[in-house]
Amino acid sequence: MTPEERIAAASKFLLQSPPGEINDVLNDIRAIISDDASLESGILPALREYNLAQFITVDVPGQSHQVIISRASQVADAEDRYVDPKAGITFSLDHLTLETSDPQPLSQESAPLRKSLETAASKYVSDHFPDGIACVFGSDASASQYTIQIVANKYNPTNFWSGRWRSEYVVDVAKGEITGKIWINAHYYEQGNVQLASEHNPVFEFPPNSSAADKIVALIAKEEGEYQASLSEVYFEMGDKTFKGLRRMLPMTRQKIDWDRVMGYKLGAELATGKSPFSGS
Amino acid sequence: MGDLLDNMLDLMRRLPPTKIEENVAALVDIAPDYADDLLGSVDQPLQLRTDHATGREYLICDYNRDGDSYRSPWSNEYDPPLEDGTVPSSKLRKLEIAANEAFDTYREMYYEGGVSSVFLWDLDDGGFAGVVLLKKTLVPSSPTEPSGSWDSIHVFEASERGRQAHYKLTSTVMLHMIGGKAGREGGGKGLGSVDLSGSMTRQSEQDAPLSDPSSHIGNTGRMIEDMEIKMRNALQEVYFGKTKDIVFDLRSTQNLENARNARRLQQELVGFMKK
Repeated sequence: MTPEERIAAASKFLLQSPPGEINDVLNDIRAIISDDASLESGILPALREYNLAQFITVDVPGQSHQVIISRASQVADAEDRYVDPKAGITFSLDHLTLETSDPQPLSQESAPLRKSLETAASKYVSDHFPDGIACVFGSDASASQYTIQIVANKYNPTNFWSGRWRSEYVVDVAKGEITGKIWINAHYYEQGNVQLASEHNPVFEFPPNSSAADKIVALIAKEEGEYQASLSEVYFEMGDKTFKGLRRMLPMTRQKIDWDRVMGYKLGAELATGKSPFSGS
Repeated sequence: MGDLLDNMLDLMRRLPPTKIEENVAALVDIAPDYADDLLGSVDQPLQLRTDHATGREYLICDYNRDGDSYRSPWSNEYDPPLEDGTVPSSKLRKLEIAANEAFDTYREMYYEGGVSSVFLWDLDDGGFAGVVLLKKTLVPSSPTEPSGSWDSIHVFEASERGRQAHYKLTSTVMLHMIGGKAGREGGGKGLGSVDLSGSMTRQSEQDAPLSDPSSHIGNTGRMIEDMEIKMRNALQEVYFGKTKDIVFDLRSTQNLENARNARRLQQELVGFMKK
């Protein structure tokens, strides 16, 4: 394998990191690749991609709050600069250390609807996510489009589990349409490796050009609540149909197997006539 | 050398179980020197083959592999054919044939379908070792039906001590379930996709009486049966209990603000009563 191919393979591993375990994965990759110099420069695109896709949160420089790093918060035509619409600034991010620096004021003031969506979404997140954060970003492409993003993480390495909830809603005020995505990942790894990965892409409508942020967020809250309830149904169905269909708890007889009968007397007798099959003779 | 294997195993414990095959292949490409150690330590989903001689399906894994060929438990032949492929001694082969018959019955009684295979091999110290493989795949009859697969890999070592035998068993179950793909109400309001996948490994050791060679089949059979019952319960708990708990820890169905208010009110009351 060429060094480039090794970095490409390492990058693929990194992008599959479960919630909160990227440093553990990176640590393993470092040992396996054992070429820190080429890894450090080569892995950066994968780190950036991971941080953007996983809605990693970072401290906003000079502020006491955090912001989500994502494609929606990326400043166009600027290398690794991100926007925090709440504070009205852009800042620079180091994707390896997650350190932020160089805050610069935004040239444009944030739209009133973005602000009210942010207030409503933050209230919703604090009502339903013990460790969640919501951000609302405007769009460079369309003045009537806003992206609401939510991320909630729970990391519990001492008990071998971690989880991440991500959701994103592109709200088009002119069309009256919300295009959503919900991703849930859970990892349980005590004496094993069990993972849940779910994805849901809801699309729903609201009266166009209405600027009632509360109503828009209420629709999102309803959608997420219904999705969570439907997940319970999926869990029940998997346990009831799939799991039982794969392997019974006990045979039809409701008793464990009688191994002496299974082998049959004839079979046992046949084997008994020979010497021990591993006596070495 | 051991340290690097530890890193590889740690990595495999973290990356998605659904991508285990391609990730193991990538690790082998990166560090070919570790290929044998890695393939021997990481269980991968079992593959099916058809025995050309008998037409019966069997399972392949690292234990019935010789070079690029795999031995069938039914005909004892390698596919692709091998002139000098490793086979068990004729006496052990006899036991292997009987074990395959017994575990085929076990498979039918617990799995009501699927495929089983047992492979035995002689050990240098006079004992023997074996692997019992079971695989069942659920193919959905309609798009609304969930699908899934179960793979069991039981590796054991047997050593005789007079009229007793000692067994060491390492069992891995890989379970993959896919659900919720179908749209229920139409208009894009489906449930999306839900993928639950993973593996679990457990070990046990046991002594059992040995009246004749065939006792090994009953002894390992009982041990594997008990282990699978235990693991099925553990899988149920982790798959449907733990991962669901994590989801409900991330997002609360109840309004947390109400809970916070109730707690505040309670604290105020307690404070009031203390006065």
